[in-house]
Amino acid sequence: MKKTVMISLLVSASLFAADYSSVIEKPNASKIIKEDLLGKATVYTMPKDCITTDKDAIARGAYIFHNLNSAQAGSTTPKGIVIKKGETKQYGNCVACHNIEKAQGGGNVGPDLTGYKAMFMDSGVRDNQFVFQKIADPRIDNENTNMTVNLTTKLFTPKEICEITSYVISTK
Amino acid sequence: MKNTIKIALSLALVCSLSYASEQFAMSDADREMYAEMLEDNPADIMVANGGELLEEFCGGEAGLAAFFKISEDELPAYIAGFPRYLEEFKQVVGLDQALQGLMHKNGHKPFALKSSDMFDMGSYAKSLANGVKLQIDIDANKHMKEAYALGKLTFEQKRGSRGLSCLSCHSPQVIGGILRTQPLPDIGSNGNASAATWPAYRMTKSSLRTLQRRFQGCMNNALLAVIPLGSPEMVGLEVYFTQEAKGSEIAIPGLKR
Ligand code: HEC
Ligand code: HEC
Repeated sequence: MKKTVMISLLVSASLFAADYSSVIEKPNASKIIKEDLLGKATVYTMPKDCITTDKDAIARGAYIFHNLNSAQAGSTTPKGIVIKKGETKQYGNCVACHNIEKAQGGGNVGPDLTGYKAMFMDSGVRDNQFVFQKIADPRIDNENTNMTVNLTTKLFTPKEICEITSYVISTK
Repeated sequence: MKNTIKIALSLALVCSLSYASEQFAMSDADREMYAEMLEDNPADIMVANGGELLEEFCGGEAGLAAFFKISEDELPAYIAGFPRYLEEFKQVVGLDQALQGLMHKNGHKPFALKSSDMFDMGSYAKSLANGVKLQIDIDANKHMKEAYALGKLTFEQKRGSRGLSCLSCHSPQVIGGILRTQPLPDIGSNGNASAATWPAYRMTKSSLRTLQRRFQGCMNNALLAVIPLGSPEMVGLEVYFTQEAKGSEIAIPGLKR
């Protein structure tokens, strides 16, 4: 008896107050987002012997600057860049936003870095530490920058940031 | 009506072409194909399939109107107000989720949000509002306010291994700028009016895609962890984009690069 009452109550409840909240897809994304959030803006000090004129190091920096990832990049990787089998290594894709010497399809979201050495380094407007910091974490002098964060996110190692920096400030 | 929208769209494209000149990624052949597809959108057939699915699983337009407790005449304007808070769902839902509820009510297992059947059927349902202006009301109730706030937060939050947010590439500051040969689109009512032109046929993917599916594309490209369709954050983003394009006439299916 009691059971029938309950069942009829349930049936009538579902008839009169439909509740679709449990039949639709509404996956939880908050955990995915939380784990993916960017860390605080971080100040870095350039490691010793960071800036180099070593040809191979600059070639690696250039490669990272001009390419998106190892799946899309050409098969001739410069000496010292190793990609584990079955893995896709992300590169800087800096040309997406910046023009620079020999850029193919360089963007203009960020400033043109062509002739950077003469314009910014030799003139004393910028120094090595500034460029290193800018690439490592650009928020330091511009909180709302649209530029990518490359060291705080651990996308690259400090050594890789040094090589990219060395490339940007090199004579091309 | 439809033709005016198409012409406006192609004009916008031509403007961005002349802006970007030689940097633009569309070749002459691509542009020719785009012009052809404007005449004959390949997604029309998918949308038509969606019409049949709506008939079979939701009782067509009459079934949809009854489900929303409105008349069939009111349906286009009602659809133009999505995403919206529905009491019987106890949350803000996209049109696709509402269709899942209706399928369930009719005794069918709802199509998955990411299935092509749902893309087709949802596109057809939205196309019923073609020519009607997006009329979302983000102040309608506290649920809509919260959904908009969550969408805005999700849009602005920097994340992923490049530390980017949607805003990094879709702020008014960078519209028209060139990112790796692509002009950055204006998602608002003065540009692509994204929320009014998705679902769309995506030429580079040769398929019909929804707005939320397009969000996933950008997350994937920019290395933001991809979040699932139908999550409150995704619905929130759709609310945000719809507000940005509010007042634009719906023109489904759109045609995108
Ligand atoms: C999504 C766009 C974007 C990407 C990708 C990007 N940048 Fe930038 N970059 C910017 C913007 C915008 C600025 C200017 C605003 C600022 O200084 O924060 C900038 C500024 C710079 C500057 C400072 C120029 C100066 O002296 O004022 C350097 C150097 C630089 N970027 C290097 C890089 C390198 C190297 C990479 C790749 C690892 C890169 N950028 C990737 C957008 C980008
Ligand atoms: C690194 C840059 C970048 C980031 C970050 C980015 N986008 Fe995009 N987005 C683009 C570019 C470039 C296009 C145009 C691409 C094309 O024409 O195919 C685009 C196009 C779009 C479109 C299609 C616009 C239309 O109507 O045609 C939508 C929607 C969109 N983005 C949403 C988002 C969302 C949501 C996020 C964040 C989760 C995001 N984007 C993050 C660069 C970006």
